[in-house]
Amino acid sequence: MTEDSAFALHGLVKTFDGKVAVDGVDLSVPAGSFFGLLGPNGAGKTTTLSMAVGLLRPDAGQALVLGHDVWRDPVRAKSLIGVMPDGVRLFDRLDGTELLTYQGLLRGMAPDVIDARVTELLDVLALADAGRTLVIDYSAGMKKKIALACALLHAPRLLVLDEPFEAVDPVSGATIRDILTRYVAGGGTVIFSSHVLEVVERLCSHVAIMAAGRIRAVGTLGEVRGQRTLEEAFVEVVGGRTATGAELSWL
Amino acid sequence: MALTFARLKLRVLRNGFRGRPGKVLLFVLGLVGAVVYGGIAALLFAVALAADIPALTMLAPAFGGAALVLGWLFLPLVWFGIDESLEPGRFALLPLPKPVLVRGLLVAALLGVPAAATLLATSGLAIGAALRGGPGPGLVAAVGVALGLLLCVVLSRAVTSGFAQALRARKTRDLAAVLLAVLAASLGPIQLALTSGAQQVGADRLESVADVLGWTPLAAPYVVGVDALEGRWLSAAARLALTAVTILLLMSWWARSLESAMLGASGGAAVRTRVASGTPVARFFGRLRLPRTAYGALVARELKYWVRDVRRRASLITFAVIGVFLPVMTSLSDPPASGAVAQGLHGGTMVLVGALAGLGIANQFGYDGTAYAAHVVIGVPGRVELRARVVAYSWIIVPLLVMLAVLNAVLRGDLSVLPVMFGTLFTAYGTGLACATHVSVWAAYALPENQNPFAINTGSGMAKSLLAMAAWLGGMVLALPVLVLVLLGGSVGAALALPVGVAYGLAAVWLGLVTAGDVLDHRRPELLTAITPRN
Repeated sequence: MTEDSAFALHGLVKTFDGKVAVDGVDLSVPAGSFFGLLGPNGAGKTTTLSMAVGLLRPDAGQALVLGHDVWRDPVRAKSLIGVMPDGVRLFDRLDGTELLTYQGLLRGMAPDVIDARVTELLDVLALADAGRTLVIDYSAGMKKKIALACALLHAPRLLVLDEPFEAVDPVSGATIRDILTRYVAGGGTVIFSSHVLEVVERLCSHVAIMAAGRIRAVGTLGEVRGQRTLEEAFVEVVGGRTATGAELSWL
Repeated sequence: MALTFARLKLRVLRNGFRGRPGKVLLFVLGLVGAVVYGGIAALLFAVALAADIPALTMLAPAFGGAALVLGWLFLPLVWFGIDESLEPGRFALLPLPKPVLVRGLLVAALLGVPAAATLLATSGLAIGAALRGGPGPGLVAAVGVALGLLLCVVLSRAVTSGFAQALRARKTRDLAAVLLAVLAASLGPIQLALTSGAQQVGADRLESVADVLGWTPLAAPYVVGVDALEGRWLSAAARLALTAVTILLLMSWWARSLESAMLGASGGAAVRTRVASGTPVARFFGRLRLPRTAYGALVARELKYWVRDVRRRASLITFAVIGVFLPVMTSLSDPPASGAVAQGLHGGTMVLVGALAGLGIANQFGYDGTAYAAHVVIGVPGRVELRARVVAYSWIIVPLLVMLAVLNAVLRGDLSVLPVMFGTLFTAYGTGLACATHVSVWAAYALPENQNPFAINTGSGMAKSLLAMAAWLGGMVLALPVLVLVLLGGSVGAALALPVGVAYGLAAVWLGLVTAGDVLDHRRPELLTAITPRN
C-alpha cells in the first residue's frame, strides 16, 4: 500500500448463498489516477465497488477512502466520495433540477452553492432543456448523465462510477469523458468499471482486470497491456475462447 | 398452452423459495391456515345444505358466497395485493394471441393458496347437495362452485388491473374520480349491511335479502345447489348463465386493461417542458415552509412522493376508504348507546383506525426500492430520516384523520364525543406509527418494479399480512392505557382523553423514532439489500 493511494481495498470478500462473488480483492488506486476496473460480466465488479462505497457490507476486508475506513468512519469517508451505482434507480419521480437539489440538501450543502452548481451542471450536461420532465421519463443516456451530476455535485475528491458508459450515445459519452478528464486534471481521482475496452484504453492511466471474484492483473495501462492491444491482454488474462468458425453454421 | 403457463407459475414459485427458509416457513403457515379455515368453512357449508333446516339452506350459501366474492373484490386492494409473478408485460414480445394469453394468465392466477382455500371451502356446498339430493343436485352445485371460483379470481384480477390503470394517471383530478368511484362502490355493501343489521330480528327479512343476493353475481353461483335440491332446474340454469356472462364480461374488461399494461406507462407520460421559474432550491420547496436542510429536503421529497408515486397513492386511497367505512359502519348500525358504552365504542373504533393509519409507513423503504441507495451513499442519519418520513406522512394523514372523526361525530349527531375520539385516535396513531417505524426498519421487503401498484412478489403476501397484522396489533395494544382511561374514567376520563392521548401518542412516536433511528444507522446496507428486487 502506497502512502498516496486515494482509495485502498484490503482483502474484500463477499459470499451470496454459498457462492463466492468476491474472493479477496486487494486494490490500491493512486491519487490523481484515472483507474479502469475491467472484467467480464459477473466478475464481481459491481459487488466490489458496492462494498467499497458502503452499499453492501463485506464478509471480510477493509475499504479506505483517503485514509478513512468506509465501514468504521462512514461519515467522513462518505463525504469525500461521489458514487454512481449501476442498476440502481434514482429518485426518479423528481425532475432533474429537483433531484440534484435534493442530493445537495441531503449532503448539507448551502442553498446558494446548490443553486449555482445545479444550474451549471444541468447546462454542461445538456439536461437543462428537459425542464420539468420527471427523471423516470428520461432516456437511458440522460439518466446516466443526471446520475453523474448527482455524484459530482458536492465536489468529491474521489469518484466511484459503475459502468458510466453503458447505454450512453456517442455524444453524451463524449461529454462524460470530457468532464471526467477535466476532473482528473484538476487533481481528482476516478475509478470506474467498464467492459468498453476502447474507452478504457483512451482514458485510463491505470487498469485492473478482474475475473471470477479476483484481481487478475493490475498496474499502469502500459504495464498491463505490454506489447499487445488491451483487448488481447484482456482475453488472455480472463481466459476467453476464440471462435473456430465451425459453430452456428446454420446461421 | 394453458398448461405451460401453469408450469411456469409453479416454477417461479419454487425458484422464489430457493435458499430462503423463512419464506418457505411462511408459505407453509399460509397453507396450514388455508386448509384449516377452508376445511371448517366446507364443513359448515356441507352441514347447512345437508341438514334439513329450511332457514339455513338458503341463508348459508347466499351470505357465505356473497362474503367470499366481496372478499375477493376488496382484500387484494386493501390488504394482500396480488401475485403478479407472471407479469403481463413480459409476454408482450411473444407471438401469443390475446385470448390465449388471457386464458394462460387466468390459469396461473388460479394456482395459488387463496384460490385453493376458496375451492376447498365452497366444495362443502357440492358435498352437502350430493348428500341430501343425490348426484344430480351435487353435480349442479359442483358446477356452481367451479364457476364461482372462476368469478372470484377473474373479478380480483380485473378490478386490480383496472384500478391500477386509473391510478397511473398522473393528474390529481383523475385521482379524485377514482376515490369517488371507490366510495360509491362501497356504499352498496354499507347499505346492505345497514338494512340487514337494523332489522336483525326478522329471519324472513334476512331470507328476502338472501333471495335478492341469489340473483346477483355475488351469490348466484353458490345457491344453484339449493335450486337443484328443490327441483327448480330452470332457475338454476338461469343463475349459472348469469354467472357465466359476468365472468365473460369481466374477462373482456381484464383483457383490455392488460393491453394497456403491456404497452407500458409511456403512453400517458406527457413530457413537461415548461421552463421553471426561480432558483433550484426555491423551486424544490415551492410553497412548503421547511428548513433548507437535509431534514427539510427529506420531508419535501416524501411529500412529493406521496402524491407522485402510484403505490403510495394506492395505499393512501385504500386507507381513506377503510378509514371512512369502518367507523361509519359502527356508528350507524348500532342502536344509540348510553354514555360510557358509547364512549368506549367510539374510543375502540378510533384505536382501530388510528393504528391502521400508522401502518401506512410499515414498508416505507420498500416503496423507495433501490433509489434508497442514494441515502446509503450519503449516510443520512437514521433519526433524521425517520423523523422526516413520519412528519411528511402525518402532514397528509392527520387532516384526513381529523375529518374522519368529525364526520363520525356529525353522523351520530353528538359533537360532545369529539374530544374522546381525538384523544384515542391520536394515541393509537402515535403507537401505530412507532410500531410501523420499527417494522419498516427491521422487516422491509422488496416490491416488484412494475406498473401494477397492487402487485407483490410471489410468496410475499403472507409475510406482508403477518407483519402488518403484528404492527397493527402492537399499535392497538400499546394504545390500551388511554382506552382504559376513557372506559373507566367516566366524565373525568372524557375530559382528560384529548390532552393525555395527544401527549401519549407524541411520546410513543418519539420513542419509536429514536430507537428505530439508532437501529437504522447500523442496518442501512442490510435494509438496501432487503428492498432490492431479486430479478
